[in-house]
Amino acid sequence: MSTPIETGETTGTAGSERTTREIRRSSNSFLGDVWVNFKRWNIKAVRNPFVLVTSLIQPIIFLILFTQVFGAVATNAINAGGGGSITYETFLVPAIAIQVALASAVTSGIGLVNDIEEDVFEKILVMPMNRAAVFAGKSAAEILRIVVQIAIILGLGVLLGAEIATGLAGAIGIMAIGLLFSVWFLAYSNILAVLTKDQESTIIGANILQFPLLFLSSAFLPLSSLPNWIQIVAVFNPVTYGVDAARALVLGRDVMTVLDITAFSGIWNTLVPAIAILAVLDIVLGGVAVFLLTRATSSDAK
Amino acid sequence: MSRRTNGHHPEESPDGEEANAVDGAGGTTGNRGKALSIETDGLQLIYSDGTEAVRDVSLSVPEGEFFGFLGANGAGKTTAIKVLATLLKPTNGEAFINGFDAESEPREIRESIGYMAQEIGIDEELTARENLQFACAAYGVPRGERSERIEELLALVDLAEVADQRSESFSGGMQKRLDAATALVHRPPLVFLDEPTTGLDPKARNRLWEYFREINEEGTTIFLTTQYLEEADQLCERISVLLDGEIVATGSPTELKRRVGGEILDIDIEAGAETEEGDGKDPRERAAAVASDSELFESEAMIETTEEGISVTSQRARSRGTDLLVALRDAGLTVTGFNVRAPTLDDVFLAITDGEEREPNKESDPDEEEADEARVATDGGESR
Repeated sequence: MSTPIETGETTGTAGSERTTREIRRSSNSFLGDVWVNFKRWNIKAVRNPFVLVTSLIQPIIFLILFTQVFGAVATNAINAGGGGSITYETFLVPAIAIQVALASAVTSGIGLVNDIEEDVFEKILVMPMNRAAVFAGKSAAEILRIVVQIAIILGLGVLLGAEIATGLAGAIGIMAIGLLFSVWFLAYSNILAVLTKDQESTIIGANILQFPLLFLSSAFLPLSSLPNWIQIVAVFNPVTYGVDAARALVLGRDVMTVLDITAFSGIWNTLVPAIAILAVLDIVLGGVAVFLLTRATSSDAK
Repeated sequence: MSRRTNGHHPEESPDGEEANAVDGAGGTTGNRGKALSIETDGLQLIYSDGTEAVRDVSLSVPEGEFFGFLGANGAGKTTAIKVLATLLKPTNGEAFINGFDAESEPREIRESIGYMAQEIGIDEELTARENLQFACAAYGVPRGERSERIEELLALVDLAEVADQRSESFSGGMQKRLDAATALVHRPPLVFLDEPTTGLDPKARNRLWEYFREINEEGTTIFLTTQYLEEADQLCERISVLLDGEIVATGSPTELKRRVGGEILDIDIEAGAETEEGDGKDPRERAAAVASDSELFESEAMIETTEEGISVTSQRARSRGTDLLVALRDAGLTVTGFNVRAPTLDDVFLAITDGEEREPNKESDPDEEEADEARVATDGGESR
């Protein structure tokens, strides 16, 4: 890694000397800056496993309680259309995988608020790092944690009797969908953090959406068995697309009901539109988060 | 990329011989021929609520100088340093830091400065070493140099023995020292220190002072803000006094002290000392009247009452002090103690912030400065 050195120019005046000291230029690239921040946030995650565990507890409780309490009733609703005999465990696991992504992404902004409150944010703003890379590195560390959590949920689901029709490739695909799904909510949580600079507001602002998003989607029951107004709301709910994509990989077939796409074959009629919608959402909200961070100054920090 | 050097510095004299760097408020330096680490012109910052935190700040800080911004809380020191460190965009004016334009080259500036905020900015979940590793990576210090640099800095700030402990277990002084070290990893030619010793005990403060002196002796330019007069006096070659966001005086500590107008004679008068000559007046007021009427100090003296007695600021404080003591005794007043001392920066600071001495933020030459000093001395402190 080379480090360019820039020196000042000699002044043209009598008696003056070349006195400007050497200024070492940073050799960092965008990816280098991403890596620096990725590493830092991973160290912090390992030092503070509380966040990893707490954001996993609730989805696990949901997985166990929902399958035990609603299992029998829900199984009838799932199979009402005569589409075979899917267990509620199999139906629910993709929803819980997305719930994990949502619950973990909620905490993302809290880390940023901590940085702001502890004056680390200002220190980072004065460092010669690309601010989009600062956000990307932090998000990458959090997404890694989410992927690990989804893997844990899938393993637990299989232990409880869920079946992933697409096998290991499908499981990896579900993790990829979880990754794609989490970006927009991570961005949303960080947007709240930059705008409010307050832990409570960030937590409340993100949490308040978590359960409406989950329940007003295809997560826990087929949309056809839900009231009409929920079916309408579900069309505009990103959770529907995340869950449908993950569920398509679990069941190995097209499950999307909110959009009637037939341009592709089988499972891709669900995956392609879901991935496209989530990607657009990620780009839009990620862009807003990066914009806010890029224009952040210390007056924003306080 | 443009880099500005003193080749076109406005203080250059027309005949080609370079003048000493002269700051915007008239202070002079001995940094003849040096390039400028900081050069600002008419810097102004207005917050969105309309508060004008920095107004018309023009200053020049040559390379290698230990420069101080002295001011009370709310004077605009921190806002000014944040503008210079690219954390805030100025509303008006321009700033060149290490030759780079703050408006168009913020990244270049960030690469070439160290910044230590008033509040400690370390990650407490990381160890001291990890904090330094993060800073090295963030500043792009070449990998091959990082280990050596980190060990060097840990030794410099006396944290080598606790390098692998989480910094949340550190005392405030240790955290400050670590914070300072993270600002130095890339050997910046210019370091901004915003009230670096606020809240530290005297021992920790003295240790930080030693580190700052050490890096300054190695050639690093240091821009310090402080509300501690002693700190500015001890460390800074040159000081600008900031009042309501505006530079009201600049000079070396000695120059500023000289502006107070000579030495200070403090005389303690026995309270309630009455003689047959007394007319019921406060003995301190009578003493001040005696000093004033004695014509010992002519018109340039500043005579004030203090809690203990009176204070006379005059070029003749030492030579005429004994005569004044005799005059006070003859007036029936009892002197319980006296002391002749050089003015401290406290005297300068108080004089300025009380509106006793005020000058516009403009360039001035030494002759004008002398004239200003005389005017301050004779008119007792007209607001300028």
